[in-house]
Amino acid sequence: MTDYDVPADTEVLVEDSELPRRLKDEVYSTLEDRDPTPEETEEVVQAIEAKYRDTRVDPLDPVGTVSAQSIGEPGTQMTMNTFHYAGVAEIDVTQGLPRLIELVDARKEPDTPMMTVHLEDEYAQDREKAHEVVWNIESTKILQLGDVSTNVADMLVRVSLNEDTLMERWPTVSDPVEVAETIASTIESKLGVETIQQGLVIEFGPEQPSYRDLLQLVEDLSDIVFKGIEDISRVVIRKEETDNGEEFVLYTEGSDFGTVLGIEGVDASRTTCNNIHEIYRNLGVEAAREAIINETMNTLEEQGLDDVNVRHLMLVADIMTNEGTIESIGRHGISGSKDSVLARAAFEVTVNHLLDAAVHGEVDDLNGVTENVIVGKPIKLGTGDVDLRMSAGSKSAD
Amino acid sequence: MVDVSQHELVPDHTLLGDGDLEEVLEEYNIEKTDLPKIKRTDPALPDDATIGDVVRIERDSRTTDTAVVYRLVVE
Repeated sequence: MTDYDVPADTEVLVEDSELPRRLKDEVYSTLEDRDPTPEETEEVVQAIEAKYRDTRVDPLDPVGTVSAQSIGEPGTQMTMNTFHYAGVAEIDVTQGLPRLIELVDARKEPDTPMMTVHLEDEYAQDREKAHEVVWNIESTKILQLGDVSTNVADMLVRVSLNEDTLMERWPTVSDPVEVAETIASTIESKLGVETIQQGLVIEFGPEQPSYRDLLQLVEDLSDIVFKGIEDISRVVIRKEETDNGEEFVLYTEGSDFGTVLGIEGVDASRTTCNNIHEIYRNLGVEAAREAIINETMNTLEEQGLDDVNVRHLMLVADIMTNEGTIESIGRHGISGSKDSVLARAAFEVTVNHLLDAAVHGEVDDLNGVTENVIVGKPIKLGTGDVDLRMSAGSKSAD
Repeated sequence: MVDVSQHELVPDHTLLGDGDLEEVLEEYNIEKTDLPKIKRTDPALPDDATIGDVVRIERDSRTTDTAVVYRLVVE
């Protein structure tokens, strides 16, 4: 049964066709509006089916080559080396060709890691609540909390904390002195020194009076993360129109996908990041595949090259995730793991491949394209794979 | 730990029975090892999946409504 108001024979006709679900639905909704006669309906459905069969990939079509060209040509029009702020928030994101290269190379760490953090229910609606999450994500270091000064005469480092900042960054604690106590104990455990804390002032010094130790302490102090996630240096909060209506969305500079998913208030079903390896580690290979398609498509779209068919990008993502892990396109990934010696040698570092193959006594079965071009045989693609033979069979045709 | 299957990037993974598996292999005319792979440690895998199992993955496809693919659990 369909949800569309069409005659029963139309439905039988459409359901019997080879069309995919989405096209069938489109046929229904169009026929519903036009109300054609049964003969017209049949004609329309047949025409659509014929057109659909026509647009499918032919058997033995070299889809990989077509994809490579379809992504490569627009790639020549991309900006070679621009860094600028992407549409969202004031966060610097690598774009254009460098980003595309980084994706197909499957770099372990993108140049500019970032996350888009969606929030749950009341956290997404209430600015105060959203800020609570922000301070749990953004790393807080000592220089953001107050002033650090050194007293060389007494060999002491003196930290005077700013009350307003403490209250802002620890919204759930009402007493700033309580926060100062936690900060003091963090300093003690991280630096291994005794601290003297009075109100909002924390003082400590090296065990033995030493000018160098004193400076080293100040240096180490500025690296301690008192709250939030170390790798995330900045969080931008924005009110945005999404599928759930208006809500707060966080954009982060730096990423730590696994940790963020566990933070209270973070919507673990919509939050994403631009590091495909982090997605792979936390959500699995299928999610990584989706992420590769999304990221490559977005990169192309931002450059105004959105007429690249998504099927090409899907093919790239399929190949990259085929082995259950993320493999890069290129010598260290897909192209380097081809079965054929000649195909590998034709790609990059020819001599090494030939030498290794000779040492190991490898055999090339000449199944692929490259190796057959090299030896001058027809390739097994398109008409090259089809043999025609005369039928020696019946005499019925005289 | 976060429930991975709830994330919008993660499609449904279900274990495939032996009977269904044979049908699939027959339809594509391939061996089990020709299927794409998925690591046994993959976070999205059902808990009871072991090496040699085949999972059925139902994706929301960009080009058709849903696309069904299969992956062999390895290593």
